[in-house]
Amino acid sequence: MSSRVSRIEFKRSIALWAGVIVLATALAFLYLLNSAWSRGTTAWTAQWTSMAMWTRSLLFYLWPVALGLGALQGLRDHRSRISELLTSTPRPAWHRAATVAGPTAITLLAAFALLVLVGAAQVIANTEYPHLGWLPISLVGALFLIAGAVLGMGIGRALPSVLTPPVVAMAGITFTSLMQLSLGQTHTITASGIPISEPNRLSLLSPALRDVRDAFTTVSTSVHLGQVIWLLGMVATGFALLVVVTSRAKLIALTPVVAGVLLSMAVLPTEPQRMYVLDEAATEPVCDGPVCVTRTHQARLADFAVHGEEALGLLAGALGDQAPVSIRENTVPTPDGSIPRWTADTVLFGFDDDHIVAAQSGEELTRALIAKAMVPGCSPVFSSGGGFNLDEAAAQSIATGWVLGDLTATSGTADVANERILEQALPVWEELNALPPSEQLARINAMRAVATSCDGDALSVLAGGASR
Amino acid sequence: MLYARSRQLTASLAAVVISAVVVWAIGRGPTDHRLALLVLATGTIAASIGLGGQDHALDRTAAIRWMPRRAMHVLLAGVVVGAVLLTVQTMGHELATVEFVVRNCAGLLGLAALGAAIAGGQYAWTLPFAWLAFAFFAPPPTSVPMEVATWMMLPPGTAAGTWTAVTLGVVGTTAYAVAGPRR
Repeated sequence: MSSRVSRIEFKRSIALWAGVIVLATALAFLYLLNSAWSRGTTAWTAQWTSMAMWTRSLLFYLWPVALGLGALQGLRDHRSRISELLTSTPRPAWHRAATVAGPTAITLLAAFALLVLVGAAQVIANTEYPHLGWLPISLVGALFLIAGAVLGMGIGRALPSVLTPPVVAMAGITFTSLMQLSLGQTHTITASGIPISEPNRLSLLSPALRDVRDAFTTVSTSVHLGQVIWLLGMVATGFALLVVVTSRAKLIALTPVVAGVLLSMAVLPTEPQRMYVLDEAATEPVCDGPVCVTRTHQARLADFAVHGEEALGLLAGALGDQAPVSIRENTVPTPDGSIPRWTADTVLFGFDDDHIVAAQSGEELTRALIAKAMVPGCSPVFSSGGGFNLDEAAAQSIATGWVLGDLTATSGTADVANERILEQALPVWEELNALPPSEQLARINAMRAVATSCDGDALSVLAGGASR
Repeated sequence: MLYARSRQLTASLAAVVISAVVVWAIGRGPTDHRLALLVLATGTIAASIGLGGQDHALDRTAAIRWMPRRAMHVLLAGVVVGAVLLTVQTMGHELATVEFVVRNCAGLLGLAALGAAIAGGQYAWTLPFAWLAFAFFAPPPTSVPMEVATWMMLPPGTAAGTWTAVTLGVVGTTAYAVAGPRR
């Protein structure tokens, strides 16, 4: 393919438009909408893996767009009514197919790469943990776009009708949507009786990934492998459809894509835990004395360790030998709807915990860590945010106040809730403070045992009731 | 008859019916109005290619009053798309309420008509398609502007959703009836 031909092809095809549409709409989504991808430690500009996974999620609509634009491109010869003329030329048909597919593939690749670059430029500024584990996620994403466009072109060439591009695009978006809705999800009930849904093997044929729940989860290698097999089948079929003429050959050209689906089904993992796996290197602890964070967040350690040690000191002073001895960032992946697990001698926290996020100054951070140590919270965990339990929040305020010597509603919740928490906490607080110190300590310790084992109601223990 | 043929009626109708049956058959899990939205959007998009003729010069020679005919075309397309979904779901397993279907048909067909007036029948589908992609990906609305932006996802009876659909329906149909498809 001479450079002159491709220059002309760039000018008269929709290739450039495809690039512009992909890049502009994706950036508009990421910058203009304030959604899960713009918040906390999993923001698309915060960490490499998060950036790669959020940009992949956009393929939910970018891939159908690539399909539709490809189909428009594939219709071109039919529209200008020169198909017969072209089949009579001595040039091999695949030569022409490559000339048509090449520029679109290149612009789509460039647009996706630019999108990733825009994210990367910001991630570099926001994290001190560089790694390349995210690269396969983005590469498979780019391959998805190219394969979609080539398949779209093939379909446009094989079924030349003005209806083809919209139907192909719509079929694409219906497919990706169904994979995120009932068809691509397993519906189960957790041990605690909460219905949840997790992706199944079928949904991995869709280019979009699950929402990013934490900064340490990544996509497993077998997922990449299965998806690449399915994509190679897609490209092969698309290219074959661009080349062949007879309807029998068109049917045969469908073989690669079918084979791709079947082969990838054999490779793709079946359980959700093997699709999205913990990134071991990212969760490696980086410690400063008794305070540990993950390598992903090592940039925040220096500031955090000071307040962590202060909190541990205050806890030791108040609780004596029952006090926790270390603080660690929580890296246990929590499936939707599960009850969190805590231990009494280690304080587990996450940088996305409401209290930690809300702590504006250092002093509040110390308070937040003490609150987390006393009553870590037992509501089932959801990726969309934890539940709020008024009694638990009241117990947390009382216990934190007891360590620090003053009662304040725990921050991290809305102001309206804070008033209700105080209202709930005040009688118990006064009763507790009226007791002799040794009994106060006994109650607090009994409460902590209940709160860290998630087995009973912390507030009623503080109020003097027996733990259930 | 010639008008119907020049507007790719059979192919569009086939696409509408097939999409409705396929999604209805697949989506036999918990009822989700997003499935119904997919059916309606596919129907609209399939119908939208009929909003432009084969040859503009040829159309101009026809001695018919175009304005009422174009308006009727959009309205009829909307009725057919909605009716197909409602008919399919009478076979059991409801996807959406009548109210939801009517509102979204009106809004989506309005968008398609507007798309035809702006970009021509061949590209009319891009407008409903883009808005659908946005509505699916946007977070749940918390303010009125966001409710307007995600009107097609709102539960039936939400004022912002209904008004946006009505406005789009009226503006789109009027624009298409008056101006016709872009040549």
